[in-house]
Amino acid sequence: MSNLSGDTDVFSSEQVGGDSRPAIVAFTAVRQDILDGVYTQEHRDRLTAVLDELVTLGWVLSLRRIFDRDADPQARVLETGFAHDHDIAGVFEAPDIDAALSGTVRLEKAGWARLFRTQWLIGPREFAPVPGSGAPADHQWGFIALWEWNDDWCRASTRERALYDEECDIAFRGDLELGVNIAGRHRLDLCHHWHHIGAWEIDGPEMAGRAIAGHERVADFKFTTSRHIVGRSRPLNDLIEPRDFTRAASPRGSTVNA
Amino acid sequence: MPECVWIHYSRPRPHWYALGEDDQAVLAESWSRVRSRSEADGARCQGSYHIRGQHDFQDVEIWIFPDSRAAFAHWEGLCGERYNEFFAFANNLGLAKEGADS
Repeated sequence: MSNLSGDTDVFSSEQVGGDSRPAIVAFTAVRQDILDGVYTQEHRDRLTAVLDELVTLGWVLSLRRIFDRDADPQARVLETGFAHDHDIAGVFEAPDIDAALSGTVRLEKAGWARLFRTQWLIGPREFAPVPGSGAPADHQWGFIALWEWNDDWCRASTRERALYDEECDIAFRGDLELGVNIAGRHRLDLCHHWHHIGAWEIDGPEMAGRAIAGHERVADFKFTTSRHIVGRSRPLNDLIEPRDFTRAASPRGSTVNA
Repeated sequence: MPECVWIHYSRPRPHWYALGEDDQAVLAESWSRVRSRSEADGARCQGSYHIRGQHDFQDVEIWIFPDSRAAFAHWEGLCGERYNEFFAFANNLGLAKEGADS
């Protein structure tokens, strides 16, 4: 498997044996359990059983564990509803693309599809993780960047692209100096219109803001269309509890025929 | 692994139109060789269709690959011949369904 662009001063290709690479399984998801009985404790139990089995099959279920394989294997996702039109986002990693595809089908069937309307983003790892400066930081927030090179990048010469990569490395070095942990780079172009995804550990939205300002200063976005997602890290188990419909008010029933 | 469907949407990027016909033909021939090689390796192209009337893209191709690795090899082959630099794209990869819906 090849990379869409070459190594830089900051990023280097993942060194793995054989021709298969870990595949990212990123997602954005909106809760859709609005009807009583559609998503129940039974579905939650099935879902957590599948998640536990994925761990035994070599899946990584949190951004933290991409950096530290000794970290807690329990799934963690980002709470994103405060800033986005999806409730959660997340970054898992499967052993390869086939495992990623079949794993998402298993999750959906176990109950995930009843709970969430989801966009899955799947693709192989290109660059290895790069921890930020200073002591390894266990940040409580995450940041996800999706991007595709625009027509101007596609028309640019090899020399112009190399200069652009050097400029972007200045910004990435700034990110690392801020303490951002960068989970390498994965390519998404086999299964999406996005070309790449980058996932970061950050200590809050302000860190993302300062980091992105650095990317703006080096004109990172002259050659890309990007989408950025920020969210607070939470255990997935806390966010997949079935809704308690006995506590839900039902004003609609009293007004429909009023 | 089960077969994979690969759905490929595309449209020419602006600078494709600025190329001369000869340059376009050379590139198109290299992409045709990639497609032929994939078919020789077991892929089946279900056809290419014009969809500009209802989509951001111009064409859609539908392929069946023996597995995801074969699909990736096909796409990497095209990228290696700079196809992605001259055509904007969106792709989907899906596993063949098994069993009843739930």
